Amino acid sequence: MNYYLRRTVRIPLTILAVATFTFGLIRLLPGGPFTQLRIQLIRQGVPAEQVNARIEALQNIRPDAPLWQQYLDYLIGVAQLDLGRSISLNAPVIEILARALPWTVFLVVTSTVLMFVIGVLIGAIQAYKEGSRFDKVASGSSIFLMAVPYYIFAVLFLFFLSFQLNLFPTGNAVERGIEASLSAEYFLSVLHHAALPIIAFTIGGVGSTALNMRGNGIQVLGEEYVEVARLRGLPDSRIATKYVAKNAILPMYTGLLLLIGFRLGGTVVLEQIFSYPGLGYYLISAVNANDYPLMMGCFLVITVTLVIAVYIADLTYGLIDPRISAGDSDGY
Amino acid sequence: MVTETDSSSPDDIDWRSETSSAEMSQRDRLAEFYEQSIYEPAVVAWSDVRTRLGIVILSVYLLMALVEVLGLWRNPAPNQAPRLLAPFVNMQYPLGTTQSGVDLFALIVDSTPFILLMVLAGGVWATSVAIVVGTISGYKGGTVDTVITSISDFFMAIPGLPLIIILAIALSPENPILLGVILTINYWAGLGRSIRSQVLSIREASYVEASRTMGTSTHRIILKDVLPNIMPYVMVNFVLAARYTIFASVGLYFIGVLPYTGQNWGVTLNNAYNQGGLFTLEALHWLLVPIVAIVGLAFGLILVSQGMDRIFNPRVRTRLTGKSESVEEESDNENTSAWV
Amino acid sequence: MATNTDTNTSPTDDTASKRVVDDPILEIEDTNVTYSEGDTYVLEDVNVTIDRHEVLGIVGESGSGKSMFASALLDAVPDPGLLTGKIHYNRKDGSTVDILQMSDEELRQFRWEEISMVFQGAMSSFNPTMKVGSHFKETLRTHDKNVSEGMEFARELLENLYLEPERVLDSYPHELSGGMQQRALIALSMVLDPEVLVMDEPTAALDLLMQRSILQLLDNLQSEYDLTIIFITHDLPLVASLADRMAIIYAFQFAEIGPRDEIIGNSAHPYTRELLNSTPNLDAPLEDMQPIEGEGPAPVNVPSGCRYHPRCQLATEKCRTDDPPFSPVDGGGGHRSACHYREEAREEIPLNFGKTAEDFDQQLVSDPTDGPNAGSTATLETTSDTPLLSLDDVEVHFGEEQSLIERFTQDPTVVRAVDGISLDIEEQDLVCLLGESGCGKTTLGKTMIGLQKPTGGSIEYRGHDIWEAKAGNTDIPYKEVRSALQIIHQDPGSALNPNRRIADILTEPLRHTHPNIGRAERRDRMHSLLERVGMTPAGDFLERYPHQLSGGEKQRVALARALLMDPDAILADEAISAVDVSLRIGIMDLMLELQAEFDTSFLFISHDLSNARYFAEHGDGRIAVMYLGEIVEIGSAERLIHDPRHPYTEVLRWATPNLDLDAMDAEDPPIREIDVPDPVDPPSGCRFHTRCPVAREACREEQPKLAELDDGDGAAACFREDPNHAYWNSEPLDGAAENPEGLEQH
Repeated sequence: MNYYLRRTVRIPLTILAVATFTFGLIRLLPGGPFTQLRIQLIRQGVPAEQVNARIEALQNIRPDAPLWQQYLDYLIGVAQLDLGRSISLNAPVIEILARALPWTVFLVVTSTVLMFVIGVLIGAIQAYKEGSRFDKVASGSSIFLMAVPYYIFAVLFLFFLSFQLNLFPTGNAVERGIEASLSAEYFLSVLHHAALPIIAFTIGGVGSTALNMRGNGIQVLGEEYVEVARLRGLPDSRIATKYVAKNAILPMYTGLLLLIGFRLGGTVVLEQIFSYPGLGYYLISAVNANDYPLMMGCFLVITVTLVIAVYIADLTYGLIDPRISAGDSDGY
Repeated sequence: MVTETDSSSPDDIDWRSETSSAEMSQRDRLAEFYEQSIYEPAVVAWSDVRTRLGIVILSVYLLMALVEVLGLWRNPAPNQAPRLLAPFVNMQYPLGTTQSGVDLFALIVDSTPFILLMVLAGGVWATSVAIVVGTISGYKGGTVDTVITSISDFFMAIPGLPLIIILAIALSPENPILLGVILTINYWAGLGRSIRSQVLSIREASYVEASRTMGTSTHRIILKDVLPNIMPYVMVNFVLAARYTIFASVGLYFIGVLPYTGQNWGVTLNNAYNQGGLFTLEALHWLLVPIVAIVGLAFGLILVSQGMDRIFNPRVRTRLTGKSESVEEESDNENTSAWV
Repeated sequence: MATNTDTNTSPTDDTASKRVVDDPILEIEDTNVTYSEGDTYVLEDVNVTIDRHEVLGIVGESGSGKSMFASALLDAVPDPGLLTGKIHYNRKDGSTVDILQMSDEELRQFRWEEISMVFQGAMSSFNPTMKVGSHFKETLRTHDKNVSEGMEFARELLENLYLEPERVLDSYPHELSGGMQQRALIALSMVLDPEVLVMDEPTAALDLLMQRSILQLLDNLQSEYDLTIIFITHDLPLVASLADRMAIIYAFQFAEIGPRDEIIGNSAHPYTRELLNSTPNLDAPLEDMQPIEGEGPAPVNVPSGCRYHPRCQLATEKCRTDDPPFSPVDGGGGHRSACHYREEAREEIPLNFGKTAEDFDQQLVSDPTDGPNAGSTATLETTSDTPLLSLDDVEVHFGEEQSLIERFTQDPTVVRAVDGISLDIEEQDLVCLLGESGCGKTTLGKTMIGLQKPTGGSIEYRGHDIWEAKAGNTDIPYKEVRSALQIIHQDPGSALNPNRRIADILTEPLRHTHPNIGRAERRDRMHSLLERVGMTPAGDFLERYPHQLSGGEKQRVALARALLMDPDAILADEAISAVDVSLRIGIMDLMLELQAEFDTSFLFISHDLSNARYFAEHGDGRIAVMYLGEIVEIGSAERLIHDPRHPYTEVLRWATPNLDLDAMDAEDPPIREIDVPDPVDPPSGCRFHTRCPVAREACREEQPKLAELDDGDGAAACFREDPNHAYWNSEPLDGAAENPEGLEQH
């Protein structure tokens, strides 16, 4: 009970810390947060004395107020889901991000689940057939796969399958003109657009997952309780699932928490390559357009997504591993 | 002449004798250091096929860096060669040329020292911060542990690449070492946590308690009892951190958010991608050459790491350096890699 | 090395073995287990017959192949081992099958339904992520049994094993104590009502009282469910109380087999006889206990001829060349032994516990100056000198970690590991702390040498408070205190840093005691000390890593490391329990000799009264019996063994196996509960009242104080010492003896 409570209490604290950090980061950026906006406003012909007022109206922050006041305003804005207005896209940041977030989550979740399942299966077979030809080939391939970053797969897929063979689209999450609905057409279009990024992102992580699973599997297969289970006459299928798989996957689950962070961050490059309109794509657009409010909004939302993802993973870990007792906070 | 004391009669000095003073010679110390820190690890490393291959690959990169440092190959410049020359056609430009007639081999060689320096900096920074943080947190415990754990939790809650992008805008790092540090700015957090949990269990080991009982200072216990036992793990993760540094840097150069002067592998990839490399098979090599350079380096690093835990395993050591047999059964747990 | 495998498989042997057993359930013929394509034997030429409903005790040192024998009976030899030979199993209905010829499916059904097995590590035998109950259910289901009937039977078994069935079945393995897990595992192995139970060191990880209690329960189970039990252990006296027949395995072969009384009382193999003599027990005169020199061979270099000849005191040229046949011994029904010189063995190696009780007592009395009474009275009465270590009302309470929220909602759970102990350790003193696991003896020991900070009371080193010294508040440098108090750990495996050579490990203490010496002198010191602790050639050992040493050798290095600090007191925390039985006496002797040489005190922690007795009696020391954080009795070994005053001491005395054949057949344990109460919430009054066989109402309410005995040395904390106490007039508790004197009868 207490384990879950503690995890839950930590969420708002972490988000507060991240929001504060974001606020600090804005001040680090060259020219501060408002230079770009100010230039833009002046260019639009806004009189110089009204610029501050306009900025305040747009971003909820008074540029001439003391820092602590700005900080409070910013936090209040975050709490009210008001992240200001994007300069380059001229729309509220939160609206842009609300549209982008599902795509990113879709990419990360699908590819991570696929990667996990495929990697675990390969690794488990390797562990069962330790020393076989399959094991050797798979280990070699896994090591090689670990050496290739996911965006290389992305580029190669794009080159061959999209540009050379025209099998897949080169951008966007869904065909233009198809309305979001529950229709098969929409669904297929989404899959068609997401296929390459998901495959690239999946392959990029399969190697290390398989190697990890292989190591854990071999270790668990040597455990006495597996031997005892065999002597008790349990069917191999039950031993493979309830005994070997469960105990071999559990230690990987903690690594998964870290992995989610890396993969969420990795979408920045992936979405840029495929022009896939997720959080990462908008982050890079904002960077290229010096659109600070959008940039910070993206950063904050990606981070909060990670915090929540880790929270969910944490909770389920407590559910599947009985050894995580109330007092044991060392899940990592 | 090295004095071998085993043969000398133990009657002279017995374990309870009063202190005498005969200093250990410098030469003895050097010989011992060479034996333990250079010769034995080298023998072990070379015995593993994967590590051997990895060492060969990494040597190639070091050689390329040397070529650049000594200025043995031309610097890249536009129009120094025919445009889009295919590789292995003209041995003057072995890897072919770009659309603007730049020698691709020159491009690769030119940025090798930069990349290697950055990778080294990233790996060293991430692992050393993780070691310091993990060891202190795990060994000291208490409030120090709570504070450090909270801080690293916080850093773990921030996705790496977006943070790096924003820091890159803020700091415009062009120095390879600074860049390496920024790229792994929060990589240490996860590693620190797992080092911490390893230190936690080593701290409970009897031999650590025995050292404490003897009054050995904490820093010596950490140096002699704790660190050697986490070294295999640390070395594997050093390589993984280095790999992450290459991947992250090339990826970010590739999408054009890292500041740069001149070319490097990521920038070359970006140019190839954005200047038409995607559309025609004729320019495929332009895309492939930087890819091979990146993958080759990462592959070499990973291969080396595969045998790394063996170097620190005294069982493997004694077996391979021809010392006496082990009385215990061999436990071959191939603890391959952390997972990222 | 070519081992001659033909010599002892002559047909006469088979007939000999079959003749003795009337109704064999298992007949094992010419069975071998080999590795490396037949080059390495880990079990060789086994020809044994096991009778229905007998208890066969098999004794062997670690790495002798005894576990391999257990696996072979279920045709479950770990890969890539190759099992050959014949193992016939005779079913109840009279039909016979060869286990090694069974198909996979037949084997799958056979295992657990006919023969099942209990492994050593209960924790590692259960799936850590599955409830204990699910293990039972899946076993029943796989063997097509009725699950609800089967679970009824499981509950019955658990209850017979003194467990609460519902609680245990609904727990995850890690939620049970070691003793509970082991008993649950026994129940799991019996859930299909098998005929044969093969037990491989089923109690080795537990402390003595739990081991004996489990053996007692096994005895009951065996008769209730008509089991045949094959009990494999390294602990000869332990299994002697249970077994009908016993066998000794040495270096992958059976060295001797026969009825228990023959093996214990009239053994015809030098190894068995020396093993018996080397086993610490309560009956034998101390000076007759002798260690066996050397260690058992590894499978890759088994000696030629008789395998025991390198360690045997009777070995001749014949033993070096000829493998002795495993043939019947005259006069003993089914007694067989593999030795060329059986008669000589019986004559030349007298058994030390065969002497009568009078001899033993006389021998003790005849040596009054050396008697423990003299020593311990001295230590109790010399109060004028400052003791080396002085504990005054020491408390160590561990609070379980609590989060911020918990602190407001829950009472802190505190484990009272040590609760109000006062004790003085003199110079060159010897104190054994005796008790079950979880009684706080290790915590107390570590508190004594300043490794654990007490939460209450004080601990002084030669009159200076250790923790004040650490804070720098006394005139004695903490460094001096620190180096004066050293430790030897229980597990030799983790006592030495695996990454450092022995030379480096031993350099560490020299850096403290002799910081300025050169490499040559340092080596000389280490060299001579290693030779002193019996590790030759020392120069060779110095260059090794810990993994190249055996358990006994590691423990010697740990001892050397402690001695190099030139300490005033050494804490030996179960320092010999992980070492092979035949080597224990050797290491204890070494420690005692070095104690005299180095003028140190020893604090010896053990759960085994016979080890504590060996130590305390040899070193003129005291034994302090601990229970749930308190000392309940203290005194000389002699007094504690022959005149225990606290019922708990009596229980420990009962739990200590002896080799006296008359007294061997186990009696019921003199305790009412097998498991120790939770130290978080210790019982009120006398903490032992929940298990005490003579507890009365008074014990529940009032806590007895540790009081000096009027008519003996030492002190005890029990109301029964006070003839006028209200105890005598209060009602006995549930299950306790009506007649309080009943206890003194055994």
